[in-house]
Amino acid sequence: MTLLKRDPKAPQAWLGNLPVTSRYTFGLGGERFFRSIKDEGEILGTHCPKCDRTYVPSTIFCERCLGKLEEWVDVGTTGNVHTFTLLYENYDGSHREEPEIIAFVSIGDGGLVHRLGDVEPEEVEIGMEVEVVFKPKAEREGSILDIVHFRPIA
Amino acid sequence: MNERVAIVGLGWTGFRPVTPEVSYRELMYDAALRAYTDAGVDPRRDVESFVTVAEDFHEGTSIFDEYVPDQLGAALKSMHTICGDGLHGLATAYMLVRTGQFDIVAIEGHSKASNLLTIDEVTAYAQDPVLNRPLRFNTHFVAGMEMNRYLHETGTTREQCAAVVVKNRYNALANPSAPYGANLALADVLSGPMLSSPLGHREAAEHADGAIAMVLASEEKARHLTDKPIWIEGVGWCNDSPSLESRDWGQATYTQEAARMAYRQAGINNPLQMIDFAEVDDIYAYKELQTLEALGFFRPGEAGELTADGFTTPEGELPVNVSGGSLGWGHLLDATGLARALEVVLQLRGEAGARQLEDVEVGLVQSWRGIPTTSGAVAILSN
Ligand SMILES: [Zn+2]
Repeated sequence: MTLLKRDPKAPQAWLGNLPVTSRYTFGLGGERFFRSIKDEGEILGTHCPKCDRTYVPSTIFCERCLGKLEEWVDVGTTGNVHTFTLLYENYDGSHREEPEIIAFVSIGDGGLVHRLGDVEPEEVEIGMEVEVVFKPKAEREGSILDIVHFRPIA
Repeated sequence: MNERVAIVGLGWTGFRPVTPEVSYRELMYDAALRAYTDAGVDPRRDVESFVTVAEDFHEGTSIFDEYVPDQLGAALKSMHTICGDGLHGLATAYMLVRTGQFDIVAIEGHSKASNLLTIDEVTAYAQDPVLNRPLRFNTHFVAGMEMNRYLHETGTTREQCAAVVVKNRYNALANPSAPYGANLALADVLSGPMLSSPLGHREAAEHADGAIAMVLASEEKARHLTDKPIWIEGVGWCNDSPSLESRDWGQATYTQEAARMAYRQAGINNPLQMIDFAEVDDIYAYKELQTLEALGFFRPGEAGELTADGFTTPEGELPVNVSGGSLGWGHLLDATGLARALEVVLQLRGEAGARQLEDVEVGLVQSWRGIPTTSGAVAILSN
């Protein structure tokens, strides 16, 4: 941790910060989801027979009935744009000239938030069919970034 | 058990974009002292329990609840801090009185947003660390995607959302506590820069500093302390799935359920007929429209048109955010819900000054905890 010091821009205030580093465990449901992307190029969901819902990404429990989920389903690598946005701010709040094109892509009864690629901002529509573009297998490490983006199905 | 609970004291300080000369403790102290004076209670002698709402990352201090008691008069007394919106805090204070274990309880919320220098990163830290955060999207994208789906499902337009900004910032001109009052035209809002389309920058509330405190009392104590008790007739709160992958993107289902809970307690079966005015979420302009529909005032898709027609102005049939809302007084972080409740109490007491509504008896307060949450609360107050 840095020592507190007076803020040169606001002499009545003191500057301080805290480095926060954590380990995150994605768990049984999440780890299998990522491993199947890495090794097989497949997106996995889990199905709740009682609620007839397919969770994507896969989870080991149903958030509706709290039942344990044991039916693993390959849900394919296509979906449709449920909603999207063109984002004009960076992570730190600074302005960006070229917007990020971001969508929630419905897959099964869930889906994934990711970038859209190979498309112009003005061409994107709700309902548009899109497919996953994975990184080459050798570069995949079992993370959400193994997906480069979704792109429209030609 | 105490059957009825009233708000008997009210204090606030602010709201201002920056408060460089005072600490958050002094903001809290100022608001609390005003509330105790207003209620006519001695905090050290009369107030039996204290509640604060705060989020460590907003405060820049971990285990922030340890920093709360002194400036509220709560040292060596029953107190706790909850991590939620101010309206969740009001619900908690209400329940404490209802138990019958306490007759007088204080609730406090504050914002020192001007000291939070990396607020975008702090908000992004609330995204799922494995599934969403690695994409490094500014969290406003959640609001942009929600607004887009809401417009798609209901046929609401960007112009109708902009009408919320015009109305609320105009209302704020009559509120001395609101720093963002302005007389804007629709075109001024629509021509501003994009934030996360279809959401424009001018449709998002700017931050402000301030603090709000209230004193709650059982019926017996309330009747003794004041001739203007404001009764809490019902409170409800609810969360949708936090995950971006399984939430409802178009509708504020959590507000609908929170309202159902509050309406049941308050005996409200026709909100538009039985409620005179409302202070609701407008951290982003579209949220006011989506929220009014979730609260059952209007059917999905009606709120935009009615707002553009003036139905929700102070002179309209259902005045909404007469205070100026978050767009008018600023985004007060965790204190937001208490600021909305503050306006409803002032109106019901007849102490709202230049913006006082005529003949109001029942008011609704609703609040949302902000991106990326699906956390909302509702309270029904009456005089
Ligand atoms: Zn189930």
